[in-house]
Amino acid sequence: MTLPVKLSAFEAALAEQLPQGDLRAELEGRGLPHRRVEDWKWSDLRTALARLPADVGELVLDASRAPDARRPLMDAPDQIMARLAAALGGQAEVFDLHNGETLTLDASVASGAGHRTIVVRARDGVNAVVRERYSAAPGATLNLYSHYAISPRAHLTRIIEQDASPDAVIVVTTTMDLSQRAHAAQTTLGFGAKLARLETEVSHGGQGATLEMNGSYLVGEGLHLDQTGIVRHTAPSGTTRELFKGAAAHGGRGVFQGKIHVERAAQKTDAKMNHRGLLLDGRSEIDAKPELEIYADDVVCAHGNALGAMDAAALFYMRQRGLTEARARALLTQSFLAEPLERLSDEAVRDTLMAKLQAALETVS
Amino acid sequence: MLEIKNLHARVNPDEGEALAILKGVDLMVPAGEVHAIMGPNGCGKSTLSYVLAGHDGYEITDGAMAFEGEDIGELAPEERAARGLFLSFQYPVEIPGVPTLTFLKEAANAQRRARGEDEIKAPDFIKLARENAAKLGISNDMLKRPVNVGFSGGEKKRMEIFQALMLAPKFLILDETDSGLDIDALKVVAEGVNALRSPERGMLVITHYQRLLDYLKPDVVHVMAAGRIVETGGAELAVALEAEGYEKYAGAAA
Repeated sequence: MTLPVKLSAFEAALAEQLPQGDLRAELEGRGLPHRRVEDWKWSDLRTALARLPADVGELVLDASRAPDARRPLMDAPDQIMARLAAALGGQAEVFDLHNGETLTLDASVASGAGHRTIVVRARDGVNAVVRERYSAAPGATLNLYSHYAISPRAHLTRIIEQDASPDAVIVVTTTMDLSQRAHAAQTTLGFGAKLARLETEVSHGGQGATLEMNGSYLVGEGLHLDQTGIVRHTAPSGTTRELFKGAAAHGGRGVFQGKIHVERAAQKTDAKMNHRGLLLDGRSEIDAKPELEIYADDVVCAHGNALGAMDAAALFYMRQRGLTEARARALLTQSFLAEPLERLSDEAVRDTLMAKLQAALETVS
Repeated sequence: MLEIKNLHARVNPDEGEALAILKGVDLMVPAGEVHAIMGPNGCGKSTLSYVLAGHDGYEITDGAMAFEGEDIGELAPEERAARGLFLSFQYPVEIPGVPTLTFLKEAANAQRRARGEDEIKAPDFIKLARENAAKLGISNDMLKRPVNVGFSGGEKKRMEIFQALMLAPKFLILDETDSGLDIDALKVVAEGVNALRSPERGMLVITHYQRLLDYLKPDVVHVMAAGRIVETGGAELAVALEAEGYEKYAGAAA
């Protein structure tokens, strides 16, 4: 038995908005996730939000088209932030992707705390792209939950841009179900916020589905980005490939938590996860926790994780050829971070993201 | 052109005590001349090249070095590069993700900007790259690859000389450019270096063996031992060293 925590003004205001029930009781009993909760040990959401304005804000979702339906979300996952989004975000907007479509979803909050839920469905054999962008103004909180349902043989490309949002909090929780021989390729370019958490939970429920999950991140002064990914292989012959590379500078903080869970039934799973972090100075921090949990015996699974500093020999070499130290550092960082983005098959999108990364590097280096 | 007087330098390791390596180097290389420095392993040859190029792992504790009359001891590596100092590395560094030509064009233009000159135009740069690559038997494919990534030891050394041809420095320091080269590659690299010889350009060739010097024909040969120049002579000195070894200089370590 633990005593109920003393709620911050932010948590009290959130609880106020909720009807009596399990969610409200849980919030009042435990508060928001904080550093003593294992999944959030490097991202203390409670503390980050404690001093942010608790006013009810609006999450503006600027979409390239109207949703196909609006309906209440009946089945939010366990994560408390996703449940809060479902409880406080009004009806979920449902998008049924058309074949060949590029759907853009630009989510932002200008002030206060805004919540929203989205459902995206790729029907049988549909091939489509979803481009998401998240930003929040100083003092604002953005909390979004999205659910992706990818039908058999459908092909989803998901591109996520998380813009640098100083003094704001951004939490995006996504669950994704992959059906038989479905394919999803997700690429993230993130720059952090006071606290930003992009949490993705993918389930290989259909046999022979393939998942690519790649991301680049660069966190500068006062910015924190947490990318947490859980991939569950429950059906046989699924493939997962993850590559995340990030750099932290001027006291910025990156967090990578990656878990691949292979159930007993998921024989012939082929899963690889790799994270590499670059610390650009002594004040910056990157925390990483890669995990494999395997209950099947005929699988190929691997994970790698490496953190390091700038290669001093390469830096000297480039300066000896005439590049300034700042330019040499920017070029080395850019080449380090480019790899996950280079896996994007769409050249125009790739160039756009690379240009965005380059612009951010000018300010960080 | 390059003047080194009583140069003392030590290495400052991340852990442990500083270690004196250069203990009073005196050296003068006039424009138009090629000087060789030979010496046993650990005598300070490579340290001298790093100190000249401005590596921050070494600290100058006494003496001075001047390039074209200017004291360069306090200049950043890129400032020395812009003044025309080029170091061909003993171990060229691999830089994944940065294509060779992109890197060299950035380097050339950074040097030009630092000197207040106009930047080189892309078509002129490409044309120059093709000409210089042909001289060294470097393929288009190699130029497109990231700097030194996946190259053999010999290919890396060839790329160093290619970079020198592209940047046209006033002064070259070749640090063990012959190591890791077979005899054919050595000839190609030596021809590239010889193509750079001119009355306005000086060179310092650091080597353990005579074989590169057979092709380069240095004007002056210096012997370095225990952090100092202990003997200076003509090309015949290199021949004598090859026959007798460095043993007789062991006493200089005092």
